[in-house]
Amino acid sequence: MYLALSIALTVCAAFGFNYGLFRFFRGKAALYIRMIVFAIGCTMLGRLFEALQFLVNGQLSGSFHVGMLGIIGCFMFLFSANFGQMDSIVDDGSKQFLKTRIIALAAPIVVAAMWIGLVVSKGFSASTVALGVEAIFIAQAAYYHLKHLIIKDVDYGLIKSIRSYNLVALIYAFLCMAEMLVKSFNLPAVCIIIVYVLQCIVLLAFVPVLERGVKKWTT
Amino acid sequence: MDNLSYIAFICLTVSFGFMLPLMEKKTRRIMSFMLVGIFSCLFISELNGILLRHFNNDTFFVTTTITPITEEIIKMLPILYYAIVISDDRNELTTNAYAVGVGFAVLENIVILTQNIENVTILWALARGFGAGLVHGICTVSVGFGISYVKKRRKLFYCGTFSLLFTSIIYHAIFNTLVQSKYQYLGILLPIVTYVPIVLLMRNRMPKRITAKTEKE
Repeated sequence: MYLALSIALTVCAAFGFNYGLFRFFRGKAALYIRMIVFAIGCTMLGRLFEALQFLVNGQLSGSFHVGMLGIIGCFMFLFSANFGQMDSIVDDGSKQFLKTRIIALAAPIVVAAMWIGLVVSKGFSASTVALGVEAIFIAQAAYYHLKHLIIKDVDYGLIKSIRSYNLVALIYAFLCMAEMLVKSFNLPAVCIIIVYVLQCIVLLAFVPVLERGVKKWTT
Repeated sequence: MDNLSYIAFICLTVSFGFMLPLMEKKTRRIMSFMLVGIFSCLFISELNGILLRHFNNDTFFVTTTITPITEEIIKMLPILYYAIVISDDRNELTTNAYAVGVGFAVLENIVILTQNIENVTILWALARGFGAGLVHGICTVSVGFGISYVKKRRKLFYCGTFSLLFTSIIYHAIFNTLVQSKYQYLGILLPIVTYVPIVLLMRNRMPKRITAKTEKE
């Protein structure tokens, strides 16, 4: 089952990545957009590695495997795009946005709570520590996605137009955490399938939703 | 017999080393980075030996999970040093990164050749040349691209470099998994399929870069 699900995720991520390459790498495009396309590419490679391990080895090795770096790399790209490119434009560090910054902490808190729930029930082990490292990168990206989703748009409607993208990215962050939980708790197969199918839909929607938003930047 | 890795290392570096003073500045820089790549491979071969013993000689696990991480980090370090201390010019960094990757692949191929001397064929040589040679080059170049932001945009450098490093590690691990499976031919195809679009993209941009440089002068 995991082999089929990993292949499905790889195919969906590959579609998103290639669509992004086709739309944003032929001409000029903002580095912010390209980093998001790279994030999908990183996910694609991570999922491809997982699928190959299932195909060749029949299972993923131990508590840590290289496929996890696909998720970490993806959220680092998303974090880097928001923190390094977008945040300084939409937030000047003034007190005006203090409330937004505090509310946005809700996203990493939810991520942390999910991981703590895992540690409480499964105990502290190499596996939960490895998943904790993954959760840190998901949490820091989730903070900026929620922040950019709720922040008041004061400059040229730049962030307003990509709110739907930030919502999709935030959902993806929570789905990755949900995947972590359903795998660790050995929940019924239907739960695992639902989480993976939702991830497939989000990966397919990622770049088209972003494209629809950034079109408004130039019109 | 002495360690064959060291014998191959000495044969390559001594002859390349003596060529360096006779070379033009740019060529010397590229050749120097190739030598750095060769040295990195020697260092990694010792480190990987220790790691292999630590993981009970589980070659599949070590080559698909551990060595991609160690190799990509070690190959990144000279590029990072060059970017911080000497120049963060993107063109220079990508050329240097590719030279490190190729140098690394050269010694790695020689070491594997000496270890499997009875079984190697022309097909093996083609597979190693197209496969490992390109994989090491592509992976190091992608990390070098991220490092080029080291002085220009620090916020992008920290996260971007690590993201690209992780991407390279996964790519390397996928290659290592494929070449040890019954899908070996896919392992050889993977770097070629990746390399061709990158070259086309770079070549499309090159005339623009050269024009911009000429206008600046």
